[in-house]
Amino acid sequence: MPKEERGLVELYLQDPERADYLVFGRKAGPGRRGFLKGAGLASMGAVLGTAIPFSAHMPGGLIPAALAETVSDFMLESKHADMIVHNDRPMNVEAAAHLLDDDITPAAHHFIRNNGTMPMPMSKADWRLRIDGEVNEELELSYDQLMNDFEHVTLRLQLECGGNGRAGFNPLPRGNPWAIGAIGNAEWTGVRVSDILRRAGLKPSAVYTGHFSYDEHLSGDPERQAISRGGPIDKMMDPHTIVAVKMNGADIPIEHGYPARIVAPGWAGSVSQKWVTRIWVRDREHDGAGMTGLSYRMPRFPVAPGTEVPHEDMMVMGSMVVKSAITAPIAGTEMRAGVPFEVRGQAWAGDNHVTRMETSIDFGATWQVAELHQPHNRYSWQRWRQSIIAPQAGYYEVWARATDNQGNSQPMVVPGWNPRGYLNNSCHRIHFTAV
Amino acid sequence: MKKLALTCGAAVAALLLAAPLPVAGQDRITNLADVPVDFEFYPLPPGEGVDEVYYGCIACHSLRTVTNGGYSRAVWDELLHWMVEEQGMMDPDPEIRVIMLDYLTTYLGEDWQG
Repeated sequence: MPKEERGLVELYLQDPERADYLVFGRKAGPGRRGFLKGAGLASMGAVLGTAIPFSAHMPGGLIPAALAETVSDFMLESKHADMIVHNDRPMNVEAAAHLLDDDITPAAHHFIRNNGTMPMPMSKADWRLRIDGEVNEELELSYDQLMNDFEHVTLRLQLECGGNGRAGFNPLPRGNPWAIGAIGNAEWTGVRVSDILRRAGLKPSAVYTGHFSYDEHLSGDPERQAISRGGPIDKMMDPHTIVAVKMNGADIPIEHGYPARIVAPGWAGSVSQKWVTRIWVRDREHDGAGMTGLSYRMPRFPVAPGTEVPHEDMMVMGSMVVKSAITAPIAGTEMRAGVPFEVRGQAWAGDNHVTRMETSIDFGATWQVAELHQPHNRYSWQRWRQSIIAPQAGYYEVWARATDNQGNSQPMVVPGWNPRGYLNNSCHRIHFTAV
Repeated sequence: MKKLALTCGAAVAALLLAAPLPVAGQDRITNLADVPVDFEFYPLPPGEGVDEVYYGCIACHSLRTVTNGGYSRAVWDELLHWMVEEQGMMDPDPEIRVIMLDYLTTYLGEDWQG
């Protein structure tokens, strides 16, 4: 668990005028009357999500009451203690590798990647899903309609953050320093996006979707989306892309998108909008928050580490890539030399599936083929197992390497550096000692 | 009660006077685990400009977002630009921006272990 940071309240208690100036650009006037104007007024208003009509009367150094409560540690008690917290505002939490051992990832082990606020849950009665844009008939679906008017499917679907593995890149790109645990394979129940789009009727001009949700931008500015990504129509019409209403048979926890979210498996998790309220069908690639610049984009050609890549040379990421994790034993475990023990894990490959799994305990000199299970359904991750014998006492590493049905396999070293650190699928390795 | 003058320059001067003593470059803390928990700007490491960075960032997000990274000046510069242009951060006065960028580059540079 992270140590405590001081919140805004404490900062204001200590030196309210300085806090005002540095947080909002607000300078106190004579007699401590607030001098809220220009940038200071605009930025405080943005954080509050509204203008401040009586700003001229607002004393300098007064913390807006709306900011007095924060979401720190919100809902974290629902997560396993071995989850790794990168951040609490926005909340970003990944699983330690051994928490990924279940074939169906429990909610308590599933990573959280938030871009904006953790919203207060919207009630099912109030929730609506709007479909508009390049469609013949705009739809506004209630939760009940989603439950009763469409066929439901239940699928195990791998959902991985585009930046999973970022911590391995050098120089380190900015963003959450995910190790390997920003992946999950929960069992999701919901309605195929394709069924919803067919009901609305796609116009020939429909090429892309843009997704919107009811969480809020961290600045509090209601005009900004925390994130608004989407996918090409082909991906959205895939029968495995769904509007999910259940996670592992229960209502989706708020941190995973209550009451409904998109799950577009095999692509960067940001395509799978949590708290979704609108699917805007577009006649061009969506240009919402997280679609442009360097975000969720890869260079069109390989670049040297640290290169400043012009935005026009970047393109939107598609499928994630072949990857695997060692989920048992826990790294650092002590084993008996000469006695076989099981090493196991999960493997996945974005839009593809894994066809071969190998491990090495001699730093890659030789590889042994592991037992590999078929996916429970397409887009589910796949269990692999290996029996290992350490020939003598000493220090060992297990390296694991997956190969997909297109012949792509995991590199031993970190693959192509890119400005925001996406798609690192280098081999996972753990160490053990044999005694 | 400190009385802040209304001019920007005086405000900056007051801020600098109030900042903690600069830490000599070679003595700086380079690992998050070494930042004292009771440091008033925890989890940021001490150094000139730490309060500007603290206040400038905490309105919207926790400081772990800042200490997660150890980046080059170019990356921090791009990040500040992105925060102002795309994420609604208050556009800091140019002098404050330089202080922030200097701090980030010096104390949360590429050798920082977050």
